[in-house]
Amino acid sequence: MKTLKVFAGLFVLVWVSMGQVPGAGAGALLQDLENQLMCKCDDKCGKVLINCTCATSDKTRAKFSKMLESGLTVEQIVKMQVDEYGETILSAPTKFGFNLTAWMTPFVALVAGGFGVRKVLQAWVGKKTGSGSEETPVAEPKISEKYSKRLKDELDGIEL
Amino acid sequence: MNDIGEFTLLVALATALYGCVAYVMSARGNRIDLYLSADKTPFIVWACIAISSICLWKAFLTDDFSLQYVWAYSNRELDTFYKVSSFWGGQKGSLLFWTLLLSTYMLVVYFQNRSKNLRVVPYAMAIMLAILVFFLFLINFSTNPFERIPLPPEDGRGLNPLLQNYWMVIHPPTLYLGYVGFTVPFAFAVAALISKNLDDGWIRMTRKWTLISWFFLCMGNLFGASWAYVELGWGGYWAWDPVENAAFMPLLIATAFLHSVMIQEKKDMMKVWNMSLILLTFAMTIFGTFITRSGLIQSVHTFDEATLGYYFLAFLFVIIVACVALIILRLPLLKSANELDSFLSRESSFLFNNLVLLGIAFATFWGTIFPIISEAVRGVKITVGPPFYNQVNVPIGLALLALIGIGPVIAWRRATLSNLKKNFLKPLIAAIVAAVVLYPFIPLGSRTEIYTYTTFVLCVFVLASIGTEFYKGTVSRMGLHEESVVGALATVTWRNKRRYGGYIVHIGVVLIFAGIAGSQAYGTHTEKHLQPGESFEIRGYTIKYEKLIAVEATNIKTRIIAQLAVERDGRRYWTGHPEKEFYKGQNQPVSEVDVLSTWKEDLYMILADFREDESATIKVYVNPMVSWMWTGGWIIAFGTMISMWPDRLEQRRRLDRVRKQEQLFPAPAQE
Repeated sequence: MKTLKVFAGLFVLVWVSMGQVPGAGAGALLQDLENQLMCKCDDKCGKVLINCTCATSDKTRAKFSKMLESGLTVEQIVKMQVDEYGETILSAPTKFGFNLTAWMTPFVALVAGGFGVRKVLQAWVGKKTGSGSEETPVAEPKISEKYSKRLKDELDGIEL
Repeated sequence: MNDIGEFTLLVALATALYGCVAYVMSARGNRIDLYLSADKTPFIVWACIAISSICLWKAFLTDDFSLQYVWAYSNRELDTFYKVSSFWGGQKGSLLFWTLLLSTYMLVVYFQNRSKNLRVVPYAMAIMLAILVFFLFLINFSTNPFERIPLPPEDGRGLNPLLQNYWMVIHPPTLYLGYVGFTVPFAFAVAALISKNLDDGWIRMTRKWTLISWFFLCMGNLFGASWAYVELGWGGYWAWDPVENAAFMPLLIATAFLHSVMIQEKKDMMKVWNMSLILLTFAMTIFGTFITRSGLIQSVHTFDEATLGYYFLAFLFVIIVACVALIILRLPLLKSANELDSFLSRESSFLFNNLVLLGIAFATFWGTIFPIISEAVRGVKITVGPPFYNQVNVPIGLALLALIGIGPVIAWRRATLSNLKKNFLKPLIAAIVAAVVLYPFIPLGSRTEIYTYTTFVLCVFVLASIGTEFYKGTVSRMGLHEESVVGALATVTWRNKRRYGGYIVHIGVVLIFAGIAGSQAYGTHTEKHLQPGESFEIRGYTIKYEKLIAVEATNIKTRIIAQLAVERDGRRYWTGHPEKEFYKGQNQPVSEVDVLSTWKEDLYMILADFREDESATIKVYVNPMVSWMWTGGWIIAFGTMISMWPDRLEQRRRLDRVRKQEQLFPAPAQE
């Protein structure tokens, strides 16, 4: 149980820390920006800017390129966009406040499910062991160790 | 003709309603007269819906714009090919198409099972008819495709240009075949619950239906990705759009079901779980339909007249409540002797595989509905787009990939340390070698790159573990029968179709994983504004813009084509023709990309813009390994075909098992 917890902790740590590795280069910065923001065309296409091909998205890209060239950072541009259009302009929930539940819930569910499966498996294995001990008093023909091992190996390899 | 179409829809509704009631009453009251009467309804319902569909198709093909639906989705200039596909281009027609497929499936089930299991089949037919009643009710009273325009216009509005692509002719029917197909195992599962026939009979009866539906849903998703790739012109194939998610979730749950059902067949365990999974799969198909037709969640796929949301929500509610109630009611009968020999066994790995598959399904579901939750809680409808799904689902997906490799090499019942060592050694060595060999060539500077590296290593591990299984089977066959390698491999596969077909499907899945990883991490793109004769370089390709060509394709369509020479090592390698198509009456032009696809990478070209001086803005993507995904899809198709192929040996083995059981537990003598 302890090992499992340590692994789970390490997994979350690695996952969170890896999210902070920055990209490099002007192209990568623009791509990062396009990935973080939605297209805000009149058609309400519902696409992330990087996936959008409408005329508005082309204009927005050109505008962002100029903003990046002027020395603004991706974070500053994103903040300006949120101030102007609200949180809906972001392509993913922020990682604080209520929005954090969006990020945490799937992993919490998965870990809870993992513990559930483990518990179920333990119970099933325990039941088999228990029922096995009850069956022992029944007289069984004795099989030599050699044949018993061979039988077990063959059963292990067999596709039922 | 339109009157006939409208009338037959009403007859279909009335007949389906009667059939549903009659089947239930005949089964409950053991009334053979009612059963014989009910047994005629599946054919009548199908015939009525087929006639109605033919009427609508005829209206499209003869440009009958007196029908509002034909006017909205067709025009005189539309190719006959697309006139046929316009049938499912809008909400009304797509619902009729759904109904046509469902009634056809029902008819096949009827002919397959009319003389079998008379305790389960009538209820299954009643369930399918009840679902048909719901759809026919909507078609008749809410979205009638035969609605008239009092003064028919001269020409139609036309089909959305984005839908005028061959993939859109193939993609929706394939997806629908998958969606609708899950109705059959669902109906049998509910019938088994109602009739208290809760052995694995319903699973055996519907195994092939589940596989076929899974296959079509899988292909439907891949065809949709292909369509997005060649038609939407953004260089990608999957955008985690709510409707894409809606097609992806049932696929995941059905995959979990296909795996866990094996445990029930082999060990008579997990009855409640399997029942819940198939019910959930069907519920998810209805949830997907709800999303497309409610307009509640913003999506590029949403139909223009998305007004049926509340009907589907109510239907979904009824299904969930009824199914949960039935399962609770039958819980004592669903109890099975759940016992396992060891924690380390293939059964356990299947349970973890189920957990991971459901984990991805849940994360996708959560992301899809979170905007609604956020709006309800905070009053802000936030967006949950690709960055969320990529961050959440990729690590879980990697765990799934690892499990695909672990599953085949771990023994059923009990894995001992010695056989674990024996079975895992070769795949592990292969993975370590791959990790070492790939390390110098793969940059590991970002999360995407680390994920990609891990994916490649895991792909090698999985392929090695599957390869080991094929190798072991082939070698033992060769030893026993003195056959050639190819002969032994073919015989081993043919004699264990289900098992080896499954492995082949896994190989296809591995290729899809590799393709996604490669294209996501190592793609590059550039955009240049060029005068004719100018050129630029990208990843060793020299792209030279030669000229702009204007073609009046039809009265309503004008094509502007850029001719691009692609050179490599100073030699002309290929000529690309990306274009923009302008349709009369449409605000936005449509991009038609041109793609040079190789095993290594795709050179993907878009004509982004052009000016009167013939200068043009050209966007070029180099997307590595995209073709691996499409190849993976075909391998999945091949593997599924092998898995589904009728297996006389398996039937004989099952018969032998039943005979042995009968000898052990002889049936009580008839009084």
